[in-house]
Amino acid sequence: MDGPADEREAERLTPRATFDRALDRVKDDVLRLGALVEESLERSGRALLERDADLADRVRWEDAAVNDLQREINTEITALIATQAPVARDVRELLALYHASAELERMGDYAVNIAKLAQQLAAEPETPIFPQIPQMERICREQLHAAMRALVDISEDGARAVCQRDDEIDHLYNSVYEDAMAMMGAAPERVRQATHMLFAAHHLERLGDRVTNIGEDVVYLATGQVEDLNP
Amino acid sequence: MVQVATTERERAEAPGEVVFDLQELSCFYGSFRAVREISIQIRRNEITALIGPSGCGKSTLLRSFNRMNDLIDSARVTGRILYHGVDLYGPAIDPVEVRRRIGMVFQKPNPFPKSIYDNVAFGPKVAGFRGNRSELDDLVEASLRRAALWDEVKDKLDQMATALSGGQQQRLCIARAIAVEPEVILMDEPCSALDPVATLKIEELMRELTENYTIVIVTHNMQQAARASDVTAFLTMGDDRAGYLVEMNATEEIFTRPANRLTEDYITGRFG
Repeated sequence: MDGPADEREAERLTPRATFDRALDRVKDDVLRLGALVEESLERSGRALLERDADLADRVRWEDAAVNDLQREINTEITALIATQAPVARDVRELLALYHASAELERMGDYAVNIAKLAQQLAAEPETPIFPQIPQMERICREQLHAAMRALVDISEDGARAVCQRDDEIDHLYNSVYEDAMAMMGAAPERVRQATHMLFAAHHLERLGDRVTNIGEDVVYLATGQVEDLNP
Repeated sequence: MVQVATTERERAEAPGEVVFDLQELSCFYGSFRAVREISIQIRRNEITALIGPSGCGKSTLLRSFNRMNDLIDSARVTGRILYHGVDLYGPAIDPVEVRRRIGMVFQKPNPFPKSIYDNVAFGPKVAGFRGNRSELDDLVEASLRRAALWDEVKDKLDQMATALSGGQQQRLCIARAIAVEPEVILMDEPCSALDPVATLKIEELMRELTENYTIVIVTHNMQQAARASDVTAFLTMGDDRAGYLVEMNATEEIFTRPANRLTEDYITGRFG
């Protein structure tokens, strides 16, 4: 029989179909890992803002799923490298995914750190959260989302755009630092709260840098060139 | 023929020197063009791998390096191959001398049905070796040592070469090729009949041989090209079925970030 059935058959028999399917599975898992971290980040930010110690607790507990998935991805990638001998773009893609999943795992840890700070803040007398912090958290999540998109689409432009926005996060962090210093000077009884918020902002700033690292991976994957996009 | 540096010292002092300079080389069998206008350079003491799909002309190209194609009546070349600046196909060139300087190892190990010793001593004798027996012994030993075979055969030099294992036979063929002190060794899929361990031994041997020789290898095994060569040239076929060069670069570059999409598709197995 001619026509679509033959085409389907031909498609099924492309030389690297097995490898491509396995690579797609790894990509799906890395996307899933990104989604988990995004969710943790959103929850830890909300826990901070709403003084919700239970929600923060959930973030801490659910980090185990992030760690498990990252280990699973590592195993999958190691097996693919060992059995399929990938080269050129294929090996760059696997290495980018490997590195991205390590960065995501670390971002998950920052979300946990922020959740712990949320619990500590919830135990202190109430102080308004510096408005830059939820802003940072939102930008970080948007950046993370965009970085994952760029990774899956191997979009060099998307990756560069992600890296450019990191300046906004840095700027907000500096502004939190100034506000925290001012608060400590003006209200010594609120030094603990100011310190907790400064640390939360610091974790978000670090998280932003790790998103940038994923952007650099995507540029390497797309072009084969190593570039520092967060000098 | 042209004077070339033949001592190890002279060779060590001239790394990267161009041995072959191909200028728009085309190879024909009758009216069929098998290789189209290839312009590349092969450098001294390097391993250059030629890769590409079946029928892309890489073996034809390899055989043009020592005029092996002369043995086929309908074969001819256009363009030039300069060997140390001298046109290899020039009227004054003796193809027999070309093949002494530019040796070849084939796909299937093909030792003569003679003793191990005679296999290695044969070439020098034919080439008019003028030393005495003990000097010939030394040459046989040195060649077998360079081919990493000496320790395995030193106590049975009188035995038939055909009794050796495939991997040993191939190393014997390499010893036979280097006994006439060539400068270049051409290898046409030298490991395709060997098991993986014998293959890795040949690859390690190739690396050692680059201290003294220049190697050009045709291989279907892309991992072999990736593992064993310094420079890789990728050839493919055009619509007219003539092989042409797509890309040539440091092997590391070819296998991590090839410049051409055709190369990428071929080495990642997504051609066709």
